[in-house]
Amino acid sequence: MDIIRTRNLAVGYGRTEVLRDLAFTVPEGRITVVVGVSGSGKSTLLKTLAGLLPPLDGGFDFGGSPVDYRSEASLRLLYDKIGVLYQGGALLNSLSLFENVALPIRMQHPRMPEDMVRDMVFASLAQVELAGSADKYPAQLSGGMTKRGALARALVLDPDVVFCDEPSSGLDPITSALLDDLLLRLKETFKMTLVVVTHELRSIARVADRVLVVNDGGLRFAGDYADLAAVDDAFIRTFFLRKDSHDDA
Amino acid sequence: MNEPQAVLITTETVLLPKRLRASEVVTALKDIGRRIESGPVTVDFRDVEEFDSSTLALLNYVRNRLTNVTAVNIGGALARAAESFVGRPPAAEPELPPSGNAAVRALAAIADRFIFQVRSLGRFLAMLGDEVYHVGVYLKERKGVYPGETWNQMFFMGYRSFPIVCLLIFLVGVTISITSANQLALFGADIYLADLVGIAMLRELVPLMTGVILAGKVGAAVTAELASMTVLEEVDALRTMGVVPEKFLMVPRLLAITLVVPLLVAMADVVGIFGGIVVARAKFGTPASAFITEMVTSVDWTDFGWGLIKTVVFGWAVVVGSGFKGLTVGRSAEEVGRATTESVVLSITLIIVIDCIFAFILY
Repeated sequence: MDIIRTRNLAVGYGRTEVLRDLAFTVPEGRITVVVGVSGSGKSTLLKTLAGLLPPLDGGFDFGGSPVDYRSEASLRLLYDKIGVLYQGGALLNSLSLFENVALPIRMQHPRMPEDMVRDMVFASLAQVELAGSADKYPAQLSGGMTKRGALARALVLDPDVVFCDEPSSGLDPITSALLDDLLLRLKETFKMTLVVVTHELRSIARVADRVLVVNDGGLRFAGDYADLAAVDDAFIRTFFLRKDSHDDA
Repeated sequence: MNEPQAVLITTETVLLPKRLRASEVVTALKDIGRRIESGPVTVDFRDVEEFDSSTLALLNYVRNRLTNVTAVNIGGALARAAESFVGRPPAAEPELPPSGNAAVRALAAIADRFIFQVRSLGRFLAMLGDEVYHVGVYLKERKGVYPGETWNQMFFMGYRSFPIVCLLIFLVGVTISITSANQLALFGADIYLADLVGIAMLRELVPLMTGVILAGKVGAAVTAELASMTVLEEVDALRTMGVVPEKFLMVPRLLAITLVVPLLVAMADVVGIFGGIVVARAKFGTPASAFITEMVTSVDWTDFGWGLIKTVVFGWAVVVGSGFKGLTVGRSAEEVGRATTESVVLSITLIIVIDCIFAFILY
């Protein structure tokens, strides 16, 4: 079943369209990777799907229901079902890691007993192997720990879909691979749906079930990662095989 | 220092030298221009061995911009570099400013700016309305705000602002007393210094100065913090957690300023009047008890109350204004600084406008 289905979606800022006529689906329980060169609109698309940036045209369904940006209730429903891992982590600097992960619980369920909050936070931190760093503040965490902490926060309320914006950016290859393993484990253990924006070829090869390639203002490819090799498209070959377009000449 | 190598000009061909870098390019361009005036020319780059990006720019210029050039000869490394950097299709022409009368363009720019300001004002007023609503809902439901955050903000806004407010208000009290004392002495009206200081401090100077200090200290800090959070996507993160940032971030600050301002004003009134007492004692030998006895004949609790209300309104203007600037900042770190400066200007402007409105209402 498809959890996200777009309809002629156009995304951008103000009057500037970055991507247009997007028609794709995101299947449930799989990892969909959004791929493209820097500035191609991957993060803009993610922001629109995460309810932060209204579409310039068209729209999308989430869990079978259309998302209406003009309706606060519709957006709230969307926010209840998603978690987002931001590029820089976006942990609140004034709160400890524990308090950061507890924040969505405290805000959504203000009357939940403190013991239960604590159990949920530590369960989430354990998933990302950060239970021992709960008392640290974001400034005391390394780049990889910040990303994992932010992922713990995104997971704490068991969202249907987790959006990850450039999870590997700024990380060394080992930490990046650990984060990829974590995403795979989440998919396999909890049947979680993940939408990952990246341009890291190694990450794509490791985690992608499905790939959306965006370039030049539109969707260049939407399909299974395994099918990419058969695609006869100069940009896709250049991107994935790092084959210079001059080589064909 | 070596002079740029001269360009060899034959009757039809301009031969460019072996070394043609930025310092020689300008001379070469001048010579080509001069030569073109007397007829069509061929520009020969084949001898050029030492070059840089300005050489490539010259080549591009000669090829595409000069009309009287019949041929351009290039070879060697320069030809290869030109193929990579100059031979590609030119980028789109930069957008030129709209043509037409300069006065019309200036008017259009002013109109654009005016529309932008009106829209900003509309968004600001909408945010003000939202904040009043969020505070009301929070006081009723007690959720949507991080526990303990109001106390943190009270500590920052009150405790940390207290010394600077007291010092400056004391100095204002002293200054207003000194400048008035001599004039009053001319008419033998020394004792009325107490009335003047009491009225001026309670009704006007304490609220105004406290507001301005809050704009500089609290307003700038609020904008810098919220703008940084916006740039670092923390505000987006809050939103996707189902938290309303305008409530989560602003309500504690608005509650804190509402609770802290009365304490600040009370203390500021005391130290401001104390400044007047010090000057009256030093200049005229007026005892403190006589000063206060005289002062209470012309000021009452209403003056204190209105001063308090004014300062609370100023405090709200500062917090909403600085929050507005912080939450509507762009995405670059540079804009954080700009927003902080603008928030102080906006807050002080709002304070003076509101003070003027109060003056019409009260007096």
